[in-house]
Amino acid sequence: MATNPPEPIRVWLTPPGPNSWKVIFLLEELGLNYVIKSFSFENVKKKPFTDINPNGRVPAIEDPNTDLTLWESGAIYQYLIKTYDTKRQLSHDAHKERHLESQWLHFQMSGQGPYYGQCGWFQHLHAEKIQSAIGRYANEIKRVISVLEGVLAAKDADKQWLVGDKMTYADMAFVPWNFRLAEVLNQSWDEVWDGAPRVRAWHEGMVGLPSWKRSMEIRARLMDEQGLQWNGVPKGVETFDQYEKDIAARAAAGEKK
Amino acid sequence: MAEKSDIHLYTTQTPNGIKVSIVLEELGLTYKACGHDTTQIEFSKNTQKEPWFLEINPNGRIPALTDTFEDGKTIRLFESASIMQYLVDRYDKDHKISYPYGSREYWEVNNWLFWQMGGLGPMQGQLNHFNRYAPEKIEYGINRYKNETRRLYRTMDTALASSSSGYLVGDRATIADFSCWGWVAAAAMAGVDINEFPALKQWRDRLLERPGLEKGRHVPSPHRALEQEKLTDEEIEKQAEKNRAWVQAGMKNDAK
Ligand SMILES: N[C@@H](CCC(=O)N[C@@H](CS)C(=O)NCC(=O)O)C(=O)O
Ligand SMILES: N[C@@H](CCC(=O)N[C@@H](CS)C(=O)NCC(=O)O)C(=O)O
Repeated sequence: MATNPPEPIRVWLTPPGPNSWKVIFLLEELGLNYVIKSFSFENVKKKPFTDINPNGRVPAIEDPNTDLTLWESGAIYQYLIKTYDTKRQLSHDAHKERHLESQWLHFQMSGQGPYYGQCGWFQHLHAEKIQSAIGRYANEIKRVISVLEGVLAAKDADKQWLVGDKMTYADMAFVPWNFRLAEVLNQSWDEVWDGAPRVRAWHEGMVGLPSWKRSMEIRARLMDEQGLQWNGVPKGVETFDQYEKDIAARAAAGEKK
Repeated sequence: MAEKSDIHLYTTQTPNGIKVSIVLEELGLTYKACGHDTTQIEFSKNTQKEPWFLEINPNGRIPALTDTFEDGKTIRLFESASIMQYLVDRYDKDHKISYPYGSREYWEVNNWLFWQMGGLGPMQGQLNHFNRYAPEKIEYGINRYKNETRRLYRTMDTALASSSSGYLVGDRATIADFSCWGWVAAAAMAGVDINEFPALKQWRDRLLERPGLEKGRHVPSPHRALEQEKLTDEEIEKQAEKNRAWVQAGMKNDAK
């Protein structure tokens, strides 16, 4: 088992977006002691959260056991693995594998996350449909999936993982965005994986894990707590643009007081 | 001293490419020559999509690097930040530009490294796309990514202004600073005014005084991003035109 911290690790998150669930998935898979500080998206760019993350983005963690505050899900991943995955359940000891795990995590952070995020934005959250922008990001997503498909195709059937012969944190990092792929691309689940059977099997294997299922149950509960629809917009508000305008208007009204 | 290396860098003159050459020069490492000091990838010829290169980086992007690993076999790496992590882990034993693995500062460096990789790079890259390379001018796209890039610059500016060393983490310049440098140096190309961010501008210029960074930024060809600050927007637009052809051809190719 992993080394369990005596004091719970505090995870700051707003429930809708995928990145926080990346961290919860890892904490659940390692069975670590943690608590969630769930707050409203309206407050990400405000104190007290900006004292924790000056960049105003979730997730962020505070680990009282080491007195460390950290943000950026990729940096949090590597920290949790080094500190608590002492039995190497989700990582390798050997230097070579360690560098390769890091490489794929960076690819996820810089190649998957931003483009899925931008595609989702232009697809659903932006009021006006700009086809060329949606197309740009949809193509990039298909390209990223084909890169992964090629890598898995070159590996033995019993080693369908990015690094070595077992699931590592590098594989897990891709799950939260791929989980939302149908929504991001606005396609059916079968269309989404067209031409990428190995990536599909890899992904579906991971979302079948109890740790992922628990993570999504927690998400559903926290979304409900805040009265949010699937896309993160409060029930009763039509679009994300409108939601952002409402937030800005409330902020302006507050300043005047 | 650094151990013996057999490093081969695949790169071109871009913000992501020069991160690695800067770190190599900062560490005083020798890396394999090919004509110049490195293997230059020519985007206009789509070298980065040729099979021999995809063997090294299946993602078809620069930078990539190969080296003889501890076990005597070749290691192939891509993603600039993971390459930088590899180089300091293996060759920066005196921690000139890094911190010991597992220390508080190590995690803080990692924090900014991922911030650059997942935020500054992709967002400024999208700004360049909508501002300079997109087949049609989409005002919303330009504004969206310009605002986000400026927000990210502001985040870094605030962090630098409150840092006693003037660097992102601790008392020295690290791979976190080098990771951001090429992007901040390319502000003019992105159409962002660096003068809005005084601490950031000071940081950018102070780093120029380092011989390693100064040498590394000119690999594999002269770094001209800073000179663009003195140009008018039309002149920059003209320079961007040269890239437009391969960027758009690449987009078509990727869409296949
Ligand atoms: N996250 C990657 C990004 C690499 C990247 O964007 N490389 C660009 C040059 S700066 C490239 O090779 N583009 C070629 C293409 O898209 O065909 C890294 O930091 O290494
Ligand atoms: N295929 C790329 C070509 C342009 C390119 O590679 N740009 C690099 C910068 S030279 C980029 O934006 N990289 C994003 C990153 O570093 O995350 C695109 O369509 O954006």
